[in-house]
Amino acid sequence: MAKFVFIVPPLTGHINPTLSMGAVLLQRGHQVGWITLDPELALKLPEGGELLLIQYNESDQDKQDSEKYLDIITKKIVYGIDSIKFLYEEVLIPLNRHSYEGIVSWLEKYKPDLVITDHQMFAGAIAAVNHKIPYATSVTAPAAIKIMDELPKVHEWEVNQIVALQKELGIDKPASIACSGILTMVLTSREFFGELELPDTYHFVGPVINRKPVNTHFDWDLLHKNNRPKILVSIGTTFDHEHKKNFFAKVIEAFEDEDLTVVVVSDPELFDLWPENFIVQRMVPQLELLPHLDAVVCHGGHNTVCETLMNGLPMVVIPIAYDQSHVAGRVVRVGAGLRLNFNRFKGKHLQQAVQEILHDTTFKTAAQEIKESFIAAGGTETAATLLEQFSVNEPLFLFNN
Amino acid sequence: MDAIATNKQLNNDEIFDLMKQFITEVIGEEFVEEMDITPQSSFTKDLEMDSIEIVSFSEKIKTHFGEQIDFTGWLSAMDLDQLINLNLEMIINYIHECQLSR
Repeated sequence: MAKFVFIVPPLTGHINPTLSMGAVLLQRGHQVGWITLDPELALKLPEGGELLLIQYNESDQDKQDSEKYLDIITKKIVYGIDSIKFLYEEVLIPLNRHSYEGIVSWLEKYKPDLVITDHQMFAGAIAAVNHKIPYATSVTAPAAIKIMDELPKVHEWEVNQIVALQKELGIDKPASIACSGILTMVLTSREFFGELELPDTYHFVGPVINRKPVNTHFDWDLLHKNNRPKILVSIGTTFDHEHKKNFFAKVIEAFEDEDLTVVVVSDPELFDLWPENFIVQRMVPQLELLPHLDAVVCHGGHNTVCETLMNGLPMVVIPIAYDQSHVAGRVVRVGAGLRLNFNRFKGKHLQQAVQEILHDTTFKTAAQEIKESFIAAGGTETAATLLEQFSVNEPLFLFNN
Repeated sequence: MDAIATNKQLNNDEIFDLMKQFITEVIGEEFVEEMDITPQSSFTKDLEMDSIEIVSFSEKIKTHFGEQIDFTGWLSAMDLDQLINLNLEMIINYIHECQLSR
């Protein structure tokens, strides 16, 4: 039996796929731990999974305030290309620098056979290389690597940020080691990702969807009360600020008079009154809900997009920041939906776009085709099998990268 | 685009109008009507274009000028800060210079 450790950033979309992969590895009799800054992760881990919490000595002033890194990404209003600068300079680099020593001490204690680090937790890769433990990378936001192709200099800038941190932590190499030289799992299908030449060590395993049911109340009777089309509107967990109020005001304008049932993921207190055809909840059982729906409106977060396509549903994507513009670009390119500009769109554009994807069946057909490609890529089981293979071949791959 | 338009040298005003036309094609006429597009307009801050929109805008320039101008090459040589600050004037000047050097 092998010992695996996942190293995850405090970002829901990056954590969820590791929970599914870890659950399969545990079922197959392996030992699995998660290195994280977030104590709350304990509540989400699959049975038997071990929480390896990064904690620092009380006397080390700089290292005490781990908490501030947990929601750092939600603290600033960011948009477009600007957001990439913010993401690296103010989120990823400080987060990785802060996490590094904690990761190292867990690797020394836990002694895993294989490290699986998120592509944005490059401190995990650096720690693994410095301690001669083989590592794999899970690319939970595949559009982020698509940027290589579309905006090469932006990609180069990102790499320079990573290389500088590597140097600071003892690896003097001109290339980023964030993506493992032995196994990099890209959590989508080739068909959805699009053309880009990548090394043989990149495996398209398809989306890894978190199957653990969410324990959230949902009024199914209310959902099924009408025969009208049903849509979900969600802009994920990352944008917890003014963006939300503006956005949902336009959602209300778009759908209040439509013959639709609109499920909205939002704080209900955002507005005093929501239209009668809206069901508003802070959390919804999204995976259970999707099979009952006709379309989705979202911000282009990788997980929601994949879950939507996995249900063969068309969507309207309204990207806000980071790699979401590129995810939206892919949705449009494969024909599974339409995109709107977050700052520019008005209620009527959203209303028209949703009517179009509901009535023109080519969108749904394209979504179904991507669904087939996702299924063919294999998903969680395939990812777990790859990880098992690389955990037993340790000596051969010691010198990854 | 017709071949005549692509072969003749454009002055800066003509290049500006052409850029405006491409922006309109990328983001939609009704949005452009509400905007005050000037040579100083920056793509990210003023026009609120996201990265995919900037990429499709550059594809239009490439299609229009073809071999004459290596616009994608010029754009892809920009680093993040330059891209964030990219405005119409920079593009107009670049196209203008390419025409002069032919």
